[in-house]
Amino acid sequence: MGMLLAVLGAVCAALVAGAGSSVGVGMAGEAAAGVITEDPNKFGKVLLLQLLPGTQGIYGLLVAFLTLSQIGVIGGGAVEISLWKGLLYFASCMPMTVVGYWSAIRQARVSIAGINLVAKRPDHMTKGMILAAMVETYAIFALLISILAVFGVSAVNI
Amino acid sequence: MAVLQMQHIQICALKSNRKRLLEFLQRRGVVELIDGPEADDVFQKDDVTPVRAALEREIQAARRALEVLERLAPEKTSMLASLNGRTVLKPEVYDAFEEKAPEVAAVAARLDALEREIGDRQAEILKTETAIEALQPWVRLDISMQFGGTRKTAAFIGSLPEPMRYDEIVARLAALAPDAGPAAVEIISTSNDQTCIFLLTGRPDAKAYEDALRAMGFARPASATSVPPAEQLTRYKAQIADCRQAIESARQEIIGAASCRGDLKFLIDYDTMRIEKYGVIGSMAQSKSTFILDGYIPKMDAERLQRELESRFDAVVSLEDPDEDADVPVKLKNGWFSDPVESVVDSFSLPGKGEIDPTSITAVFYYVLFGLMLSDAAYGAMLFFGCWWATKRFPNMEIGMRRMLKLFQYSGLATIFWGFIFGSFFGDIVTIVGKTFFGADIAFPTLWFSPTENPMLMLVFSMGVGVVHLYTGLICSFYQHWKNGRYKDAIYDTVFWLLLITGLILMLIPSSMFQDMSQIYVTFPPFVNTAAVWMSILGAIGIVLTGGRDAASLPGRIASGLYSLYGATSWLSDILSYSRLLALGLATGVIASVVNQMGSMLGGGVVGAIVLLLVFIIGQLLNFGINLLGSYVHTNRLQYVEFYGKFYEGGGRPFSPFGVHTKYFKFEEDK
Repeated sequence: MGMLLAVLGAVCAALVAGAGSSVGVGMAGEAAAGVITEDPNKFGKVLLLQLLPGTQGIYGLLVAFLTLSQIGVIGGGAVEISLWKGLLYFASCMPMTVVGYWSAIRQARVSIAGINLVAKRPDHMTKGMILAAMVETYAIFALLISILAVFGVSAVNI
Repeated sequence: MAVLQMQHIQICALKSNRKRLLEFLQRRGVVELIDGPEADDVFQKDDVTPVRAALEREIQAARRALEVLERLAPEKTSMLASLNGRTVLKPEVYDAFEEKAPEVAAVAARLDALEREIGDRQAEILKTETAIEALQPWVRLDISMQFGGTRKTAAFIGSLPEPMRYDEIVARLAALAPDAGPAAVEIISTSNDQTCIFLLTGRPDAKAYEDALRAMGFARPASATSVPPAEQLTRYKAQIADCRQAIESARQEIIGAASCRGDLKFLIDYDTMRIEKYGVIGSMAQSKSTFILDGYIPKMDAERLQRELESRFDAVVSLEDPDEDADVPVKLKNGWFSDPVESVVDSFSLPGKGEIDPTSITAVFYYVLFGLMLSDAAYGAMLFFGCWWATKRFPNMEIGMRRMLKLFQYSGLATIFWGFIFGSFFGDIVTIVGKTFFGADIAFPTLWFSPTENPMLMLVFSMGVGVVHLYTGLICSFYQHWKNGRYKDAIYDTVFWLLLITGLILMLIPSSMFQDMSQIYVTFPPFVNTAAVWMSILGAIGIVLTGGRDAASLPGRIASGLYSLYGATSWLSDILSYSRLLALGLATGVIASVVNQMGSMLGGGVVGAIVLLLVFIIGQLLNFGINLLGSYVHTNRLQYVEFYGKFYEGGGRPFSPFGVHTKYFKFEEDK
């Protein structure tokens, strides 16, 4: 049962954050393609902006992988873990799961605004990127807590 | 290094030298010109709008011509072509182009016309094809479609709106016109929605048959040809062939003009420069035979320009330091180490009045923070050597691109350094390969500690770096206040804060809460603890007393002083913000390790090695790219939000000299 909860947590992190990122990157991609129809030379610039909401999915993947390897589902050495410990793992994955999803979508909106900015004033791409990165800050904090928590829980003995 | 000192420059010269002098100034590109004095009895301003509009139109035509060329005779360019920069030309080429310009403009106009011709012909083909389609049902009719009969007979050519057989038609006609004489009906063609018929009858019966046909929904063809349809069809086909040929020959002519591409580009640049020049002419004051230019010039370039202008053009050049309240443009100048970071400062904002150039101090932290976030020796080496190679390979690169690459090159060096400190080389590839293929237990050297094994220590270290960064910002603020003679502000707004924050940190470190979290055990001698308490109290009191010094009443002062003490929370969030150093560093290292681990899942042997190699290359490149992007934006963020928030506002107006702002070509610098 503990194992089930831990795997469920890991899966949630990869699944929900990944879903958020795919929605986000998808939205930004549509806007980017619109800009490219006007000026194909801006491909490189809008591509970078499109990628920005993609990191949440990677962070989710990272948390999932860490959890799975801590409980031995990948890399071998899986042992039965208690219900409480499983629950703790599940909780540890939640920051990345929830914040990852919402921040990816919100960040995508800023990215789209940045893409529109590049369409009109390509010299100011960096500013658009920084604005989008402001949203990502919270995904990074969630990642940080999830990682620290997963590491911490594996040291807990219950 | 510094904000360049500017001087106000005024140039007075003879109108006969106007063209040469302006072209010289434009090529030099060191003077920013400002609007001259308003027009009066002596000095007037030229209206240059029509000239500029004409040039603008010429540029548009040339751009369209280039687009046509690009579509029909695309130029082969390599992926790295954008690094090449503008082609360098000698100034004489510009002078020589003056004669050639109308010719090239004519080529542009011709290409434009050809493009339109192709469009028109294509439309014609479409129209003809529609006509052919409409004619298709009538092909079997071997007389003119306008044939109305002879002296004794009347003919009806047209369609009935439904498919009908011969006997049906005859039966309907007989029913509708029972008293009429005989008529010959011929079906030309039948389709799902119509039947095309030819009906011939004697003149006297024409009226009766016409009514009968109308009752059946008879309609004459929309476009009746005067010649038999088959012949008309041949004519149409010939027309289409003609159009095709015209299109092809226009296309050939366009492709043949591909060699003019360079000239067209030059025309665009040439006209762009002339537009800028006419902009200057329009804004300067001119008398009957002289003109006056006003502007700003960096002091370092001023004397040389003065010498050159006076010796070459009979001009009078006066230089003076600008007024205290003049809107002087800002230009930065830095050495090789901080020069790349100028673009970072630039995209925030240039230093405003009384502010220092933050570039060099930003540069130090930029490289350090970037390295901490990417923190992998191999990625650092890729970045360093990649950028180094690119800048060597394309020496003519545009300044913005070069700065970007240099920024990454130096950041790459810092990344290598941190990679060694934290023992990361493509994550843990050394260990993985050793274990999988050689059964050996080896590892990349770790000079200090590995953040994946000791994240709490890394967290404390990250925030420590943050504190140093923020303190530096505060010291810059102190220096800025002091330099501008605001001694009180310097003490009140920076020293008190330094006292408070330092005191709080010193109190936090030996506390059990901190020790439990970080597993770092430090005990200070007692006097340090006492000093820490007094420092924070002193700082806090100072802030409460002075933070609201702008308020009018005493209670107001205390209230807003208390409110500024509340600003301590922003210090908390600022310092916590540096935890991203840990998070991004961990992300790089852990994803790299995940890739390695996935690659090594098939174990040793040849197949295992091939799989590992494939997974390794793709995965590591992906991780490198994503983390490069992350490190770049988040380093910028830490600089812009946390660091600049402490002392730097910007708002300076960038120096934009009258110069050569072209797209394709630039001039050799004449020494």
